[in-house]
Amino acid sequence: MMRPYAQRSLLFLAAVAMTFASLVYADESETAARQSAARAILAPESEQATIVQDMAANPSPVLGPIFEAWQRSQVYIYEAPDGARIPFILMPADGSASKAVRIDNGEPLVGPDGAPIVVDETVMKPAETFAKLRRAMRSTMDLLALADPAPAIRQSAILKLGMKQSPEALPILNARLAKEQDKAVKNGILDAIALINLASPDPQLQIDALNQLKKSNSIPSRELVAKMAADETLSPKVRAAASSTLKAIDNHLFWVDFFGTMFRGVSLGSVLLVVALGLAITFGLMGVINMAHGEIMVVGGYATYLVQCVFGSGVALAPFGISVNLPGFGFDPNSGIYQSYFLFALPVAFLSAAAVGILLERGVIQFLYRRPLESLLATWGVSLVMQQLFRLIFGPANAPVYSPAWLLGSFSVGDVIMNYNRVFVIIFAVAIVVGTSLLLAKTPVGLLIRAVMQDRTTAACMGVRTRKVNTLTFAFGSGLAGLAGAFLSQIGNIGPSTGQTYIVDSFMVVVVGGIGNLIGTVISALGIGTVDQILQTSLRNPVIGKVLVLVGIILFLQWKPSGLFATKGRGLEN
Amino acid sequence: MKLSQTLQAMAVGASLLVGTMAPARAAEDTVKVGVLHSLSGTMAISETSLRDVLLFAFDEINAKGGVLGKKIEPVVVDGASNWPLFAEKAKQLLEVDKVSVVFGCWTSVSRKSVLPVFEKNNGLLFYPVQYEGEELSKNIFYTAEAVNQQAIPAVDYLLADGRKKFYLIGTDYVYPQTTNLVLLEYLLSKGVPIENIGGGLRKDEAGKVISAGKYTPFGHTDYQQIVAEIKQFAATGDACVINTINGDSNVPFFKEFAASGLTAADCPVVSMSLSEDELRSLPTKDLVGHLGCWAYFMSIDSKENAAFKKNFFDWLKTAKVQGIERTNRVTCSPMVLSYDGVYLWKAAVEKAGSFDVDKVREVLESGKITFDGPNGLNTVEENHHTKKNTYIGETKADGQFKIVEEFKQVYPEPFLKGTFVKE
Repeated sequence: MMRPYAQRSLLFLAAVAMTFASLVYADESETAARQSAARAILAPESEQATIVQDMAANPSPVLGPIFEAWQRSQVYIYEAPDGARIPFILMPADGSASKAVRIDNGEPLVGPDGAPIVVDETVMKPAETFAKLRRAMRSTMDLLALADPAPAIRQSAILKLGMKQSPEALPILNARLAKEQDKAVKNGILDAIALINLASPDPQLQIDALNQLKKSNSIPSRELVAKMAADETLSPKVRAAASSTLKAIDNHLFWVDFFGTMFRGVSLGSVLLVVALGLAITFGLMGVINMAHGEIMVVGGYATYLVQCVFGSGVALAPFGISVNLPGFGFDPNSGIYQSYFLFALPVAFLSAAAVGILLERGVIQFLYRRPLESLLATWGVSLVMQQLFRLIFGPANAPVYSPAWLLGSFSVGDVIMNYNRVFVIIFAVAIVVGTSLLLAKTPVGLLIRAVMQDRTTAACMGVRTRKVNTLTFAFGSGLAGLAGAFLSQIGNIGPSTGQTYIVDSFMVVVVGGIGNLIGTVISALGIGTVDQILQTSLRNPVIGKVLVLVGIILFLQWKPSGLFATKGRGLEN
Repeated sequence: MKLSQTLQAMAVGASLLVGTMAPARAAEDTVKVGVLHSLSGTMAISETSLRDVLLFAFDEINAKGGVLGKKIEPVVVDGASNWPLFAEKAKQLLEVDKVSVVFGCWTSVSRKSVLPVFEKNNGLLFYPVQYEGEELSKNIFYTAEAVNQQAIPAVDYLLADGRKKFYLIGTDYVYPQTTNLVLLEYLLSKGVPIENIGGGLRKDEAGKVISAGKYTPFGHTDYQQIVAEIKQFAATGDACVINTINGDSNVPFFKEFAASGLTAADCPVVSMSLSEDELRSLPTKDLVGHLGCWAYFMSIDSKENAAFKKNFFDWLKTAKVQGIERTNRVTCSPMVLSYDGVYLWKAAVEKAGSFDVDKVREVLESGKITFDGPNGLNTVEENHHTKKNTYIGETKADGQFKIVEEFKQVYPEPFLKGTFVKE
């Protein structure tokens, strides 16, 4: 075991040294690197990994973008008329067309007549990669990443180097430390040096290293430190330092988990809130038990799917055996306009769900305002019909909705990781709650809505057209459900039966919050979300966590049957 | 009133006529074969494809003269994703329709539900979907992948890829729980320390591990906490995830995984329940580079596979099956293993010269029944499972797999618990 490892680390050391050398002799090595990259792409599959492996000895910065493009299936092979095979990358040029650039010399790809060759991306087959090849590329790219202009990339490469614990990397890290300007990366280098020194035979170095890791609360080092704290062959002093570092890291980890859980709780609560807000209007304010609420949400989800398709290459549907082709604008998936499809989808989702809401209210619910039990059964029937309609129009499989790039990824605040889409849902929830309450409290329409919901008959006597207000309110609640569906498409499924998954949660939130009270809905959604996440972390078991939440809600409703905030109505029926 | 009564009487008369005529015809030149899958309910989305491929196989065989000169007459029943109903339908197939063989079941729980019925009536069932093993009924033949033909090769591949930490996650039911216990034993035997296995362990009072990994209920939608845990787990590098989540929940899982910035290069996920058919309804861009492991991939480059795909897609265009999906279809491992099952049964019947269950079983157990199918050579072994190839594939953006590794002719081992010796 030892021998190949030593060999590998020697090779590795040579490679690291060469990285810095290569920065000096950039021009010569660049051509060589480009040529070997081109050779690797053209080589038979069985030899590719070996060629790439050998390239790690001479990692020119030019390789980074080439390997990245290759892994993303953006490298193509041009078959010249004379039989030569030339690998190339498509670079975005000014204007809409992209230009082909040869990998072996970085020049534009030209035909025998000297004119640039125009290639159609959609018909070309990209050069493929596979795990072993990508691993070989990874080792080269890791070395290049040490000098990457982006601090985050440098930092993760440095951490990886530290985790390998090979002392040969120390001089490189020290050299880097002297040059490094970024404070966070500097700390990362100190941590990496400390990680390497943990394996040092010198107890003093080990203790210094442990102190450094203690200072920086390095989570990745926890396992190594824990091993040292339990290792009886080490001197008691080192072990004591290790246990104190371990304690500090565990303490830090506790707070990271705590704030992480809180964040995730608020974000789950926001999802619940977004889902339940529409119901808080239709059920909470209007008193309609609408079992089709989930399906109205799904309408919003499918609207998002259709907008996505229209921004892309269109979609072919076959409702009732009639084939319908919805043409698309054919925007480039990486372009800003395509990426912003979601912003256009939001109003479409709201309006289409509101339209379905109007149909449902005019067609079914308006006859059942005084008969809640019958409205329950009727809307349940409607929900079944709608599910079957989704199946007929969109097929039984889920509709794949892709998240725009700006919703992917995450950032971290003091080791607490926050995903952009989760931050987005929190902002989204705040925006629609504020919007809804302003609409209800500050506008003339809101006044009419509140008047009708408090007492239909009196409002009618005062000359309010209650039928119109009913329809409007129901449409608004349904529109909010549509927005929820649009958001859910970013974090989960949109399929014919998606609505069923969320209907229970929505009713749960509204009932616990207290019927007819928006603040109650907000507090109950956030409360249920947070408790759910806390139980999941502390029990380490999502199944039992979910069961306990439901049991808790049942007990809570025994104690407070009308929810957190009971509304005292003035109507005779109360 | 009068008219409708007359019509009713005519309808009853007609159905009686058909009812009495059909068996008479069947007895002469057809053999009845049962198809027992969920055509409605949650599992319909997966199982309907298996019915389609079975009907295709029957038509293909009938066009070439049938089995022992008899045409196959399929009896299709709907298990409706309802496990007790599966047992009732199996009873109907065996006792009322008296079918010679049944092809069916997807979930392990449906198989466990029909097993006593097949044993009591001495029926014959071919089961095509990867499962947890630890079972061997004399009345069931498993063309499916056993754990050592799917999960174990996947782990071998990951170990060879330099992965040192394994996070286990699945849906809370028998297949993931059992598979992960077997994998835990296997990983420990390969020298992976127990602290490098993520997802948590549950032990009984005696300290024996009774559950390994993280489990979520069917239809779970919130994977934030779990993905955050995986991200911490993977921070030290060389980690991977073994995913036995079933069904829809894969979508929120992979979306959360991608959104958190984890990539297939940092931490690949190998999924046991996602074949080409399931990928049709997943956002495949989020899955690029993650792994799958099956006995068959649609992308296998062979003469047999090309012919199978062409014939099946051609058949779909004109098939006289109500409501069948004719476009955007794919083929996948459970489908091909269903198809192989039909041909293995045909080969055994022809060798036995009889449809009698005991005689067919004896021939199947001889270890000499083979079929060269779209997935390569299948051989029925005496332990009722089939020896076949296993492939590892990487998901591509178009929902297909790029085959990266092939394990040739893996012998099936249904009983794995407690068999691993520490190296």
